[in-house]
Amino acid sequence: MAQSALVSRHMPVVWRVAFRMLRDRQEAEDVTQETFLRAWKMLPDWEGRSKFSTWACTVAINLCRDRLKKKAPILMEALPEREAGDLPPEQALHQKQAGARISALIDALPERQKEALTLSALEGMGNKEAAAAMQVSVEALESLLSRARRTLRQALAEGQEE
Amino acid sequence: MTKTGMTDARVLELLETYGAWPMAWPEEEREAAEAHLAAHPERFADALADARLLDAAFEAEPMPEPDPSLAARLLADAPQPRTSRDSLGARLARIVMPNGQRWPAGAALASLGMGLFAGYTASASSVPATYETEAEAVVYAALGYDQYDTYLEEVPLDE
Repeated sequence: MAQSALVSRHMPVVWRVAFRMLRDRQEAEDVTQETFLRAWKMLPDWEGRSKFSTWACTVAINLCRDRLKKKAPILMEALPEREAGDLPPEQALHQKQAGARISALIDALPERQKEALTLSALEGMGNKEAAAAMQVSVEALESLLSRARRTLRQALAEGQEE
Repeated sequence: MTKTGMTDARVLELLETYGAWPMAWPEEEREAAEAHLAAHPERFADALADARLLDAAFEAEPMPEPDPSLAARLLADAPQPRTSRDSLGARLARIVMPNGQRWPAGAALASLGMGLFAGYTASASSVPATYETEAEAVVYAALGYDQYDTYLEEVPLDE
């Protein structure tokens, strides 16, 4: 019962964080399973540790980073704005296309900015918890977030002008 | 700057960093920032509009969902509570014959065994199944709740 509660509450967030970083459902599942396997081992000695959600996101993010390093090291730094301008302007008026467009724009963000945005803006995590999950300071988190949002705002504005 | 120490620059930073929704702002600054913004709305109109635009775009972002079977697979990997206990005879044998001797001689030892048996059956019903309760306590502590009841108060199972 307790383990079920833990899974139902935290698994979707862990999976979404992994999916948004890896853009692959199966890989996101693998990361989620590995995260919870570690959780099952850690739980008996949990006392005094951080919140489970923070810990789980940290583990998942680190696992994703490892996979991204192995997959394509070039993705670790700034990515070109792939797909950003691919949608015809008229489609941006529709909700579905708008969703696809923002997904593509988020996907094209540098990895750390994407992590910060995923935890904070998309998963609604508080600034301290998101910073802890990413193992950075709150100031660093804010810097990543503001850069991410600035990039997205500019891309959306450019898309509207097209 | 207001009495709370909030500045125009910080409100603009909050809007640019966390968006237009105050609940996304840092808790310790939220009240002051909201008051500052409400006191001088004209100073933040453009930034607020920009932030709302981006927030609306996030709302349009499709929320990916995991495969429904994933939860069951994770739980299958979870440590299982003890489902079976050693037989009473085996437990008694370990107590009476800790070294695995097959036939301890003497009626005295037999009566000792009977005494132990009687004592055990009288007290066995009061022995708690500690595994589940301890494991659950740890899990709910990890979730940030004192106990399962507290968890249910905040997060109903049908959520």
